[in-house]
Amino acid sequence: MSAISLLQFLSQLLFLIVFVVVAVKAVRQPRAATVDTALLFGAVSIIVAESWITTELHVTASHWLSAVIGSLLMALPYLLLRLVDDFAGVPGPLLRFTEIGLAAAVVGFFVLLPKFPAWLSLLYIAYFVGLTVYVAVAFARAARVSGGVTGRRMQAVAAGTLSLGLVLFMAGVQVMLPHRPSWLDVLALLFTLISGLGYFVGFAPPAWLRRAWQEPEVRAFLGRAATLPRLPTTRQIVQELERGAASSLGAPAAVITLWDHTDQVLRAYVASESFEVKPGEMIGGRAFATQRPLFWTDPARHDPAHADLYRQYNANALLAVPITAGEKRLGALVVYGPRASIFAEDDLSLAQLLADQAAVILESRALIDEATRVRAREEATRLKDDFLSAAAHDLKTPLTALVAQAQLLERRILHDPQAPTDLAGIQRIVQESQRLKRLVLDVLDVARLEQGQIVSHKETVDLVTLAHEACARHHSARYRCLVEAEAPAVGEYDTNRVAQLLDNLLENALKYSPDGGDVLVKVWRDDDEYHLTVTDTGIGMLPADVPHIFDRFHRGTNVDDRRFAGMGLGLFICRGIAEQHGGRIWASSPGLGRGSTFHVVLPAAPSGYLTDQTESEGSQQSMEAPLMAAQQTT
Amino acid sequence: MSTCSVLVVDDDPSILTTVAEFLSLEGYPVQTATNGREALELVERARPSVVLLDMRMPVLDGWGFAEALQDRAISLPILVMTASHSTAQWASEVHAAGYIAKPFDLIDLLDAVEQVCAEA
Repeated sequence: MSAISLLQFLSQLLFLIVFVVVAVKAVRQPRAATVDTALLFGAVSIIVAESWITTELHVTASHWLSAVIGSLLMALPYLLLRLVDDFAGVPGPLLRFTEIGLAAAVVGFFVLLPKFPAWLSLLYIAYFVGLTVYVAVAFARAARVSGGVTGRRMQAVAAGTLSLGLVLFMAGVQVMLPHRPSWLDVLALLFTLISGLGYFVGFAPPAWLRRAWQEPEVRAFLGRAATLPRLPTTRQIVQELERGAASSLGAPAAVITLWDHTDQVLRAYVASESFEVKPGEMIGGRAFATQRPLFWTDPARHDPAHADLYRQYNANALLAVPITAGEKRLGALVVYGPRASIFAEDDLSLAQLLADQAAVILESRALIDEATRVRAREEATRLKDDFLSAAAHDLKTPLTALVAQAQLLERRILHDPQAPTDLAGIQRIVQESQRLKRLVLDVLDVARLEQGQIVSHKETVDLVTLAHEACARHHSARYRCLVEAEAPAVGEYDTNRVAQLLDNLLENALKYSPDGGDVLVKVWRDDDEYHLTVTDTGIGMLPADVPHIFDRFHRGTNVDDRRFAGMGLGLFICRGIAEQHGGRIWASSPGLGRGSTFHVVLPAAPSGYLTDQTESEGSQQSMEAPLMAAQQTT
Repeated sequence: MSTCSVLVVDDDPSILTTVAEFLSLEGYPVQTATNGREALELVERARPSVVLLDMRMPVLDGWGFAEALQDRAISLPILVMTASHSTAQWASEVHAAGYIAKPFDLIDLLDAVEQVCAEA
């Protein structure tokens, strides 16, 4: 056997092998793409078989047989075009033209053989070459959008088809040339072999090759996946996974539906719309319920109840794989598009690989979430414990003094009914009961604060009036309390709570100014907010303490516990009051011994919204009655 | 007048005064201190028969005070008096003769002091 005939034999063998593989697949999974592929290679195989038989038996084919073989050859571009139509669509007129061309070619063979004019041969070849180039380009384009194994297989088919076109092109050149140069035969054979190889790789790739092709896709997916569990929400992770799956599979869309254990439904988001399906419902629900990969090219037949929905999303071909981590069913990955990929089985196995990765990612996310929840629970428990032991200690101390002092008074009288009144003892009882009262109220406020209920009854009230009233309560010979405001600051507030906030700030200002001094309260408006500051000339704060002084139980490190009584709840309550009014609070200090400023911002009332009550209240206290009246008329 | 003298140590002035006045009324010689260091100075000057000791105090707390006594090889019965819910444990930590949880009844305080004085 010469080298040339060996080459020929190898090419022909390749085509036959491909035929066997695709024929088996067509029988197992009869759908348009597999059947058309089988037909294509069936035609090729008959051509090959005919050439073997005639060569081996040393017979010349009859005209009829030649016409049949020629017709089969001319049918190849048409069958290839049908294949393109199966996965990418071919314009109807082109399909019709090709069919008519094929019919004309067949008629031509039967009528004209054996006297076949050269110009007609050229026309036939032009028809064949033109269509194969079109098909090759179509496959190449599909290869670009498809990822993974499918993309590589499309590339191989494109190369095989182009080579087939070239073989026919060379036949045309031979027709044109008076002498057939032998190198042209070799070249044609070479391209036949390339074509055979291309089709073999494209239509019947061995398993190891598929795995090798899948690897970079999975690797790329995993590369992105490493950071995914850290995304802020599960929804975002799912979106990224969907995007990754769609691009890896070269599919237009991918949807991940997740099992919601509480509601016992599978939930997915398609184009920002929420979908809920029960297990067994639609393709995702079925893949989830059966734990098997599914591939549908006719969803209306598999799931008539949702035919409209599939149509609405242009989902004519769907692929679904379960997302499962060990025994835990997490959901399903659904990939869909207007047309099925011709290599759906590869897509299905890649999709399953991606779904397995998705399961790992979602599970690690769930673990992170769970760890965060546990930490938050522990933190809450710890805070509660801290609060309980601190509150217990701080409440028990005045209570001890109170009980002991009362019992002491009683004992004194029992000892000596004539004893003079122990005024100091009675004063201690009064003082300790006041201290206890404040602590109890603070603790109750904190409990209420934690339920977000510290602000209850809002009414229209002037902050400047409240500031004046609070200042008056804390004014003394040792401390001067001054209010500075240019206009009333009327808004909707819980009067008692804002008064409490002011009292707390003023008490702190006085408490932490042991040498006396002025306390200045300023109120002003800035845009749609009121600003209120309380500034003292006291012991000040360390910069490190400033961000924490509003935390529960936090007291400045420069605060001597014994010199300044307190539980560290006052400013925590102040912050709660400000925040539950939709406002904020912060503090600043130029440094130790240089005083502090507490800054409160509360939202102002909508302009023009004032009641008579406010006017009467406001004008009583305020020097700015004309302005109030002006606001009133608007 | 009893011969059993009591040193009361507490950083809360109200409790300190009340307990001291009460024990005086009951006939005990009483000394007071607002922290461990003050208490230690008093112990070194005139040894009391029993110490009524608060645990959480500034400057030198109850544990520090008990340790200082041990360092100086001074053996003194201690009655722990705290608002903690682990009073019993704290008492065992300083090898106290007994403990009184705040808030206490004066009569219980008196019982405890009498018992320690009787043993001393």
